[in-house]
Parts: sequence; C-alpha cells; structure tokens
Amino acid sequence: MDKVKQKGKNVNLAIMLAVVTLFQLICAVTLISKGESENRMRVIITFGGYLLAEYAYFIGARLILGRRGFEVELIAFLLTGIGLSITASVYPHLAIKQLIATLIGIAGFVALQIILRDIDLCMRLRYPAAFLSVGLLAFTLIFAGFTNGAKNWLYIGGLSIQPSELVKVAFIFVGAATLERLQSNKSLTKFILFALGCIGTLFLMYDFGTALIFFFTFLVISFMRSGDVRTLILICAAAVLGGILILLFKPYVASRFASFGHAWENFDTTGYQQTRVMIYSASGGLFGVGLGNGKLRNIFAATEDLIFGVVCEEFGWIMAAAILLSYIALLVYSIKHSRYARSSFYAICACAAAALMLFQAALNVFGVNDVLPMTGVTLPFVSRGGSSIMSCWMLLAFIKAVDRGTYRYGGVRQ
Amino acid sequence: MKSISRRSLTLYLLIFLFLAGSFLSYYRLAVNADKWAMNKANSHLYTDGAFTAGDITDRNGTVLAATENGERKYNNDITVRKATLQTVGDGAGYIASGIQTAFKDELTGYTLRDGIFNLKRYGKGNNIELTLDADICKAAYRAMGNYDGVVGVMNYKTGEIICIVSTPSYDPLNKPSEEKEGMYLNKFFKGLYTPGSTFKILTLASAIENIPDLEDMTFECKGKGGKGQVQIGEGYVYCSGVHGKIDIEKAFNQSCNCAFAELADTLGKEKLTATAEKAGFNTQMNKINGKIACSKSTLKLDNSSALDIGWAGIGQYTTLVSPCHMLTLISSIANGGTATSPYVVNSIITPGGKNLYVAETQTLGEYFSSATAEKLQEYMRSNVKKKYGDYRFSGLQMCGKTGTAEISDSEDAKPNALFAGFSSNPDYPFAIIVVVENSSYSISTAVPVATKVMTAVKNAYGK
Repeated sequence: MDKVKQKGKNVNLAIMLAVVTLFQLICAVTLISKGESENRMRVIITFGGYLLAEYAYFIGARLILGRRGFEVELIAFLLTGIGLSITASVYPHLAIKQLIATLIGIAGFVALQIILRDIDLCMRLRYPAAFLSVGLLAFTLIFAGFTNGAKNWLYIGGLSIQPSELVKVAFIFVGAATLERLQSNKSLTKFILFALGCIGTLFLMYDFGTALIFFFTFLVISFMRSGDVRTLILICAAAVLGGILILLFKPYVASRFASFGHAWENFDTTGYQQTRVMIYSASGGLFGVGLGNGKLRNIFAATEDLIFGVVCEEFGWIMAAAILLSYIALLVYSIKHSRYARSSFYAICACAAAALMLFQAALNVFGVNDVLPMTGVTLPFVSRGGSSIMSCWMLLAFIKAVDRGTYRYGGVRQ
Repeated sequence: MKSISRRSLTLYLLIFLFLAGSFLSYYRLAVNADKWAMNKANSHLYTDGAFTAGDITDRNGTVLAATENGERKYNNDITVRKATLQTVGDGAGYIASGIQTAFKDELTGYTLRDGIFNLKRYGKGNNIELTLDADICKAAYRAMGNYDGVVGVMNYKTGEIICIVSTPSYDPLNKPSEEKEGMYLNKFFKGLYTPGSTFKILTLASAIENIPDLEDMTFECKGKGGKGQVQIGEGYVYCSGVHGKIDIEKAFNQSCNCAFAELADTLGKEKLTATAEKAGFNTQMNKINGKIACSKSTLKLDNSSALDIGWAGIGQYTTLVSPCHMLTLISSIANGGTATSPYVVNSIITPGGKNLYVAETQTLGEYFSSATAEKLQEYMRSNVKKKYGDYRFSGLQMCGKTGTAEISDSEDAKPNALFAGFSSNPDYPFAIIVVVENSSYSISTAVPVATKVMTAVKNAYGK
C-alpha cells in the first residue's frame, strides 16, 4: 500500500512540476518573442536562472533529502513565476535583480528549514532575533526618508530594502518561540512588549498596512497560544480605541482611507488606482489579453500594489482566482498539519505564517477592488520587490516545517 | 498540542471571510465588467480620446464611422456626417442612444469571457451594418434646411429604418464649441411631441370602430372672423377655418377641429383611450434592436373634462407622441393593421466575416383591425389626393395626415408642423414621419420636407 501511495505522489509531483514548468516556459517564450532584442538576454537569464533553481531544489530535496510532499513549494514557485514574468515584461532591466532576490529568498527558505529543525537552537535565537528586529525597525525609523508617504525604506549602497518585510519572519519566529518555552504570563507580557515595539515603530513610519499585518499576526499567535478570547477582545478594543484617537488627532491619516467605497466618485484623485484596476481587470475577461498586452502596467505601482489587476487583465480572471485559492491552500495545509506537528512551536509558526499571507493578500486584493480601504501592501510571492519576495519564501519555511515529513528523511530522525 | 490544533480551526473563519471577499470582488467584477471595461479611461478602447472600434456602415456599405490607424474616422461628406450623427453617435458618448454608445460592446468585440481580447487580436472590433441609407439621410438633412426637428423613414413591411435625421446636428470631426439645445439628442427615439392634427388618425380610427353610421354623419363648423368653433362641455374648441356642414371625409381632408372634437366627445375617454392603447400608446415600445429605448407616447384622460377630451381628440391637451412610435403606427396602417417592430441595426459582423447577429422582421401585434386599417388608408389617401396634392408625391400613391401642433399659448409662438404618411404603392413600402419645430402651417413646411425625402426614396428604390 505504502509503496503505491508513494509512487502516486511521485507521479503527481512530476505532472504538477511539468505543468508549472510549461506555464513558465510559455511566459518566457511570449516575452522573448515580443520583447526588444536588448531585453531578450535578460529574459533568458531570468527564466533560465529561475528554472535552474526550481529544478535544483526539487531534485535536491527529492533525491538527496528523500522528501515526498512538494505542494507548498509548487504553489510558491507558480506564484513567484507569475510575478517574475510580469516584472520581466514591465521592467526588463529589473528582472535579474528580482531573480537574485528570489534566489536569496529560496536560499533563506532552505536555511530557515535547517534552523527550524533544531528547536533548542530556535529557543536560543529568539532573544537576538527580537532585539535585532526592534533595532532594525528603530534604525529605519530614524534614518529612512519618506518614500510614497511612508518611512519604510532603507537605502544601502545601490540597494533599497524594506526592513519591515524581513522583520515579519522574525516576528513569527520570536512570537512562537517565546510562547513555546514558558506558557506563563511573564512570557506573554514579553511578547506583547515586543509586538508593541514593532507595531508602534511601524505606525511612526506611517506604514499602516504593515502595522495592521503585524497586529493581525500578533492576534493569531496570541490566540493560538493562550486561547484566551477575552484578553484578545480587550486588546482589539484597545487597538480600535487607539486607532480612533490617531484618526482624531491626525486627520490626514483618515484622508488616506476616505475614498474607500467611493472609488468611482474619486475617479481621478484618491480612487485613481482602484478604478483603473477595475477597468483593466474587466478588460481581461476569463483568459486575459495576454502577457505584455495589458494597459494597467502603465499605472503607478502596477507591479507592486496593483499586480492583482495586472494578473486579471493579462492572465485572466481564472488565473487570478487560482492565485487567491493558493493562499487558502497554504493556510489549509498549515491547519491540517498542525494536528500532527512535532511541537506547538511548529503549529503556531505555520498557522501564523499562512494566516499572515492570507491576510496580506486580502488587504492587497480587496484594497484594489475597493472592498477594503487601500493600504498599499504587496501581494505575497507575486508583487515585485526584493524584500517582499525574500520575506515570503522565508515565511514558507514555517509552513514547510510543520509537516512531519519534512524532517523525517535524510536528516535527524525524531 | 491538542488545544493548539483545535484553536487553529478558528482560522477557517479567516478562510471563510477571505472567500466571501473574493466572491464579492468577482461578483462585482462580473456584474459591472461591461460598464467598467467601456469606461473612457480604458486606453484599450480610447487612444487620445478617440474610440477604437469596428466600422459602422449603412445598408449599401457606405462607411459612416471607422477606425483607421488608431483614429476614429467618419464619412467623407460633411452632410452625411451631420445627417447620421445622432444615429451613429459620437466617440465620446455624449449621444446616449447613438450606435457607438449603445453598441459599444459589439463594436469593440467585448465579451465577458474574452474581455477586449478580440480588439487586441484583430486590431478592431466587430462591424455593424445599419439599415440606414446615407443618401436618403443626406437628402432629409438638406430638406430640413435650418429647421430643428426629425425625419424618419421606415419600410413598413420589414421594419428597416432607412432614414433618421435629428436636427440641430453638428460635425463630429469639428464639434462646435457652442452647444445647441438638442444636438446630443436623437429626437427620433428620444423626442416627444404634441401630435396636433396627426392624432386625428386615432380619433378617426376609434370612430370607425365605434360609430356604425360615421359616414352618414354631418358636422357643423361655424363661426366668425374665419375661425370656426364648437361647444364641448363647458367651453369651446376652435378651428382654423370655417368649414360649414361637412361629412367625415371632408372633415379629415380639411382637418376640421370642430368635427373631431365632437367625435372625441361622442366617443368618450374610454373608447378613445382603448383605440390609442391598442395602437401602442401608454406602453413602452420594445427597445430597438434590443438596445435603444424609444420614448413612450401618452394619452392620459383619466381626470379630464369633456372639453379636455375634445382637445385631446385633435391632438392637443396633454397628448404626446414619440416620432419612432408614430412612424410605427403609420406603418401599421400601411401594413394592414399589424405593426412591425422598427430596427436600425441590420447585422453585426466579426472582423473574420462571421455574422454575430442578423436582425429579423418582427411583429409588434395588431395596432388596428385590418378593416379599420383599410378605411384609414382610404381616408389618408383622400387627404393627399384632395388636399395636399398628388403632384407632390408623383407615382407614390401617397397617403398621409398633417398636423400643426400649438405648443404654447403665447401669441407669437410658432407651432410645430408634422406630417405622417406612407406610400401605398407596393413598390415603395415606406412610411415617413416629419416634425419641423417652430415653423408654421404644416402644409408649407412639413409637407415639402416629406416630398423631398419621399422623392429621394423613390429615385433610390425605383424599379
């Protein structure tokens, strides 16, 4: 029985990998045939490098580590590939940069899996991670200038990074690790202080979208750990109160969200991006107008905040729905495997990471569709941005770690 | 551990909310996609404000609007452009009932499934062939001169509208900076006019059906100072002349208000309303080609006095008609009582030459019994023969009725002149409606326009 099952899984992997590869090849060929000659080499390098990394990962994990399940990685590779195609199409000169960030992200994904295998190591790392996170955010707050209304970018040399993206990984790591060891009020207080530090700095940076994501993740982790609904309601009430106070004393913050639900009435002002997303999404139809044929790409932040609209327009509504389902799949995967997790640390990490991505996807997608206020967060794995893609791949390590199968073969047997 | 995995189940609530949000987004997208995709900010469809779409041609293949090298072009002839403007529509969507606005989806090849992909694939959308004849429209536009108003011509057998002109108009290639009232309106579909004496056709129809000895009746039109009058209820209805003792045929020829006000009084509101409603009054007509709504002709006599009904019987009071409906009504008389649904789009053809839609002749039902229609034909024929002059419509065996509608109580206000008629020569199965606003007596304005247009029709479709 077991052998048959195993064989079935291998075939599934082969088929799914073939489908994902085919899709990526079609994107690459489309870009090569349409692009200007100077960009062809960039596209070839980008997709060549990406496919190489993809196959190196699968072959290494299957043959060397003897792993079986690859659902999570396939989803990530598919989404990353879509994002990379759009980046290579809209900004060919940035494609290789995006590829390098992706490769670093995949390396981080593998490295973090190795670290996560050793729970004792994780416990030792939690304080350094916490202090590093708050320190990095504080550093950003002090030294960053305003970029598009928020102080969340650091420029080092020619590189720009968004520290809050990387802190997301540390936030879950610290949150889950702290709670694992001492299920006491003292440890909860420490986590609350840590969370307050992170979220507070994000607020001061005017990065409200990310602050909201951190707050949400904080709630998920706290609830998973304590199950104390009353405390959480109190915290939420305090947060809402705090939010209202901020809106009262800093009315310009409110003005950012003022056009929510009224995008069409603010067609050329605050609703500009949302209405363009809707117009061009509608133009795409079920199957899209084809990669490179869209018009939304000419609107500001098309490859970042508005990328869901670009997918709707160029790849079609079905592909866009598949992306939405991907985030759901990651969370369902995490919830299912939590039951059999080796430790609550893994269960909390995985659920928090998957919930974070789903929440972030919701803010992004519903924001541009005027179902929620627009907060300017990225769409996990798909949006262009080095820090964002690295962060997503590392968060994926948490989801991967919850599966008992991950550490069963070729590594330390538990 | 167990408690943690149990708590993780709460996250299904998050998934549920996410799904709900996704459904809402997709639902709104699916419901509004058409409207959103057709937005003027969509640079797939609008390049520098010009509309990228398929060609619009008339029934003979004359191009009325087309996209060439990303630019929207119109017919080379300025008069044709002005004559067909309100039907073809402008690129910017000011003319709501214009084909370019009402058939935007078809012209761009937009479908919910494929989005604007067809536009990308072929570089243009579907082509639309209209039933209009550009030459007839041009002749009608010229015939209108400087007057504002409407001309409509349709084939009463098939329902094809071969001419629609609505003035004032403008050249879409050179839009005037100053807007004239009504220039964005296709008055043929959207206009509403007091019918004046053209409504006597309906009063006559009701009388034919309800008064058996109608042809033996005599009416008396007497008065002083050249104006006849008759007492109806508490007041008087006035006539344009003093016609003396006349029978129904003469009363119709002379368009005697006294006779028809008396008839309306005799018939009463129920019978008059019943005849009018059977002929399409007080009901919304089916949309033209399923897309273009036509305004509703109305006859409301619910709380009217006898005098009001008398005035209504001669097409005054609150009675209003839409030119499109009036033309349909006249056509039904010509067609033996059965109304044919008018249409303006003949076919929609993909760039690959496939027919997406071909209009078919459809009936709207019986407006008049065939006996009534036959009688009305005779009386309307008699009008042309004995009153307006057959020489004006030689060879057409024209039938018709004029109308001069007073639209204001003011002394120096000019009336609207109307003519509604049809050729009873089976070689030219066409009906016509003419409205000339702020003119004078219909015989000197509306009838000459009808003559010019019907002569053009005869020359174009002669055998």
